[in-house]
Amino acid sequence: MFGLLLAGLFMGHPLAFVLGGTAVLGALIAGKPMVLGIVINRIFGDVLDNFTLIAIPLFILMARFLSDSGVTDRMFESLRLLMSNVRGGLALAVVFISILLAATTGIIGASITVMGVMALRPMLQYGYSPTLTTGVIAASGCLGILIPPSIMLILMASYSPLSVGELFAGAMFPGILLGLLYAVWVVIVAIISPASAPAVEPDEKIERSALLRMLAIEAVPPLVLILGILGSLLAGIATATEASALGAFLALMIVIVRGKFRLRTFYSAMLETGRTSAMILFIVIGATAFTGVFNITGGLRATQEIIRNLDMAPALLIAMMLFIVFILGAFLDWTGIVLLSFPIFLPIIQEMQIDLLWFVVLMALVLQTSFLTPPFGYALFYLRAIAPREVRTGQIIAGVVPFIGLIIAMSVAVAALPQLVLWLPDTLYKN
Amino acid sequence: MLIRAIDGLNEVVGRVVSVVAVVFAAIIIFDVVMRYVFNDPTRWAFDVTKQLYGFYFVMLGGYALRHQAHVRVDLVTEKLGNLARRWVEVAGYVIFFFPFAWVFMTRSWDFGMTSWNQGETTYGSVQLPVYPLKLAMAVAAGLLFLQGIAEVLKLILGREVPHHDA
Amino acid sequence: QESWTMTTTWPSSLELIEIDRNFVDLANKLTGDALTIEFFEGGALVPAGEVFGAVESGTIQAGGDWPGYWAGRNSAFSPLATTASLFNAVDYVNWIQQWGGAELYNEIYGKFGMVYLPYGVTNNESGFRTNKKIETLDDLQGMRLRLSGLEQGRLLEQLGGSQVSMAGGEIYQSLERGVIDGAEFSTPNVDWSGGFQQVTTFWATPGWHQSASVFGVMVNKASWDALSPETQEALQIAADANLIWSLAFTEKRATEAYQQFEDAGIEITRYDDETLARVQEMANEVIVTTACENPDSAKVYLSQVEYLNDYAKWRDASAPFSLGRTPDGPDAEKLRECVGN
Ligand code: NA
Ligand code: NA
Repeated sequence: MFGLLLAGLFMGHPLAFVLGGTAVLGALIAGKPMVLGIVINRIFGDVLDNFTLIAIPLFILMARFLSDSGVTDRMFESLRLLMSNVRGGLALAVVFISILLAATTGIIGASITVMGVMALRPMLQYGYSPTLTTGVIAASGCLGILIPPSIMLILMASYSPLSVGELFAGAMFPGILLGLLYAVWVVIVAIISPASAPAVEPDEKIERSALLRMLAIEAVPPLVLILGILGSLLAGIATATEASALGAFLALMIVIVRGKFRLRTFYSAMLETGRTSAMILFIVIGATAFTGVFNITGGLRATQEIIRNLDMAPALLIAMMLFIVFILGAFLDWTGIVLLSFPIFLPIIQEMQIDLLWFVVLMALVLQTSFLTPPFGYALFYLRAIAPREVRTGQIIAGVVPFIGLIIAMSVAVAALPQLVLWLPDTLYKN
Repeated sequence: MLIRAIDGLNEVVGRVVSVVAVVFAAIIIFDVVMRYVFNDPTRWAFDVTKQLYGFYFVMLGGYALRHQAHVRVDLVTEKLGNLARRWVEVAGYVIFFFPFAWVFMTRSWDFGMTSWNQGETTYGSVQLPVYPLKLAMAVAAGLLFLQGIAEVLKLILGREVPHHDA
Repeated sequence: QESWTMTTTWPSSLELIEIDRNFVDLANKLTGDALTIEFFEGGALVPAGEVFGAVESGTIQAGGDWPGYWAGRNSAFSPLATTASLFNAVDYVNWIQQWGGAELYNEIYGKFGMVYLPYGVTNNESGFRTNKKIETLDDLQGMRLRLSGLEQGRLLEQLGGSQVSMAGGEIYQSLERGVIDGAEFSTPNVDWSGGFQQVTTFWATPGWHQSASVFGVMVNKASWDALSPETQEALQIAADANLIWSLAFTEKRATEAYQQFEDAGIEITRYDDETLARVQEMANEVIVTTACENPDSAKVYLSQVEYLNDYAKWRDASAPFSLGRTPDGPDAEKLRECVGN
């Protein structure tokens, strides 16, 4: 099935249908056409009848309203001027906004599109190299699924004996540290290769008072909206879905207050949101079809057998499991990987008396690479879908490579220092 | 002629259904306001928004295909000549798209009709019918299938629009 | 020589899956070479809500469930799964095995082309876990509570609360963020594995909304018919053995978990007897109203109430050594009128 998947991908066929088609052909090749029934059961139950996914179109709608009316362009412009004394200021802004955004959203498709739609154009315009631009947006945009709240962590909790709270607490520091590591990297790149992260021209700089005024008008309202309102809603009042609906509503309000409301733009934002939402959710459809057929035709069992038959030292076995996760990440989405690997890995981890929370967070960290590694990196796809034609796919891939390295470095650090994961949950829950 | 009819159909569906996002956003906000301001949450908002969301994105599958908004890996194909690329893409539809879309369409129809015949509802104190959404899934799969035919015809006749025109 | 694919509505993280696993082990041993059941945890093949459809269509041969999930297809599934303030676990065992319950399961599931073997029973569910103390019915006024079930939701609404339907995986976060004021989920051991002690401080007992629960396996009729009578009998024996095993297993685990909740500093309250009597009265009304909307549902409830009335004299005579109590349940005559509709 994986061969078919690869072939379809390189034929340039849409990912959603390569996954779905492989599921159908896989079932036929296995001589079990009867199992195709589960494809429909899964599509309905996992994708259509799924309250958590409602946030996806709503987050996109919010980003569209802000972006199409030019509000976010002006916001990034003022942030860039604010950071004019820092090399790579705009890229740093992307990292920090992403970290904050990650604390409010838990869906990779949404946060990456939000960042992409808002930041891509301004960054390219101001002369940032396409490689750094796409790399930093793709990598930072994925933090949403590591820094709590996150649907991935919720899913992991529901497929393991761990509670959502423990997992959220455990992933908090590794997630934020990874974000900070990205920021450090951006600074390093800006110093080594000034051309890829240009500073603001001296004659462009404006006076402090004018800058403050500009910030107050252009940057503060949308930032308050994205970070403050969504964040506080999520902190205590509403679900991600409700927060995303309110976000879309308030974004529209900002646009109206600014006098930027046009019926045409409003309608085209809806059409655009419709296409993007359908694109993302049809990938989820394809992935759930694929995973279901893979599991029922024996792929799951076969993999379990192979691993159980290995005879390895615990540290080596863990390293190998994480390596498998990394490799699987190149081909599958995190839902598939979690569903495939948890039933295989977790019993083994428990048998070896290794801290389950530490292992699961480590796995969540490694799974960050799955969004970035070609050929199947959803962050790459999302970015490809929204990037202008001039940005080549090769540039996007080259852009994420250093960030994959940073994720691996962070994973090694967490493996060496389990306290990075365990301190917060221990403090919160063990007394 | 056929191409234009299918394109037109999905265009109309897309332009109408896209508005549904605003409808369920409004319902969610209404519910939040009723809950926090009036301490009187609605009984129906949860199920209704969930169904509207499902209806919304699944019906837009064909519309997204018409605009070539579904992401693809064009690393290899962008290096091919125009004719070769077109035939590789047609092969992609034949091998992957049509088997999937066919199963999606026919099985969804059976799935929806079973629900219809049982008069299936949600199982809480609000009993909302489930079959409209299940049948909508079958209709959406049909629209997707039709759009696939149109796209293949465009490739064969060399009348395609460039990708990512959105 | 048959081989079945079976899944369940429970993910591996919920202890309820142990009931399914124990049955599969027993069944595979007892049926020898004649039948092999390959078991997949919930979610691996189809989402929980789709297990019914997958077995009905024959895509998979068997599926472990809690019948209440299918009440949207026929409200009679609700009393087959649990009752509000009526049956305890022993009542379900008695009724299923000796008072005609098993036939009713097969009659209702039979309408969807399936055979049903009840193979799990758990006694009283925990009750609501909240951050505001609940002692009387007035405390329920205006509370948004996660609760599953049709009768249960209607009952809660009559008591002044509002029902929020929510998948198990969403409860923790919603409690943490105050999106809901409280939630019921399952028995104490299952609740503990859900981590609710981390996000709530009060626990109101008993769980009147779900006095006991039944679990079992749906089998596609064609797959069942393909088995020899001996294999069918072996499966029945496995199910019967599992039924009693599950009761002792979950009561033991619930006892352990109760202690864990207490040690974690959760304040455990209890409704007074007057409140419980009032709940019983209202539950009776809701049961009759709901039953009278569907003759199938009325038929199941009537059979259950007839069992209670039939058993009452001997049960009361054997007090205080009796198995549970004779509830002051709904009027059998009212239910009988609704069966004929
Ligand atoms: Na997050
Ligand atoms: Na990948």
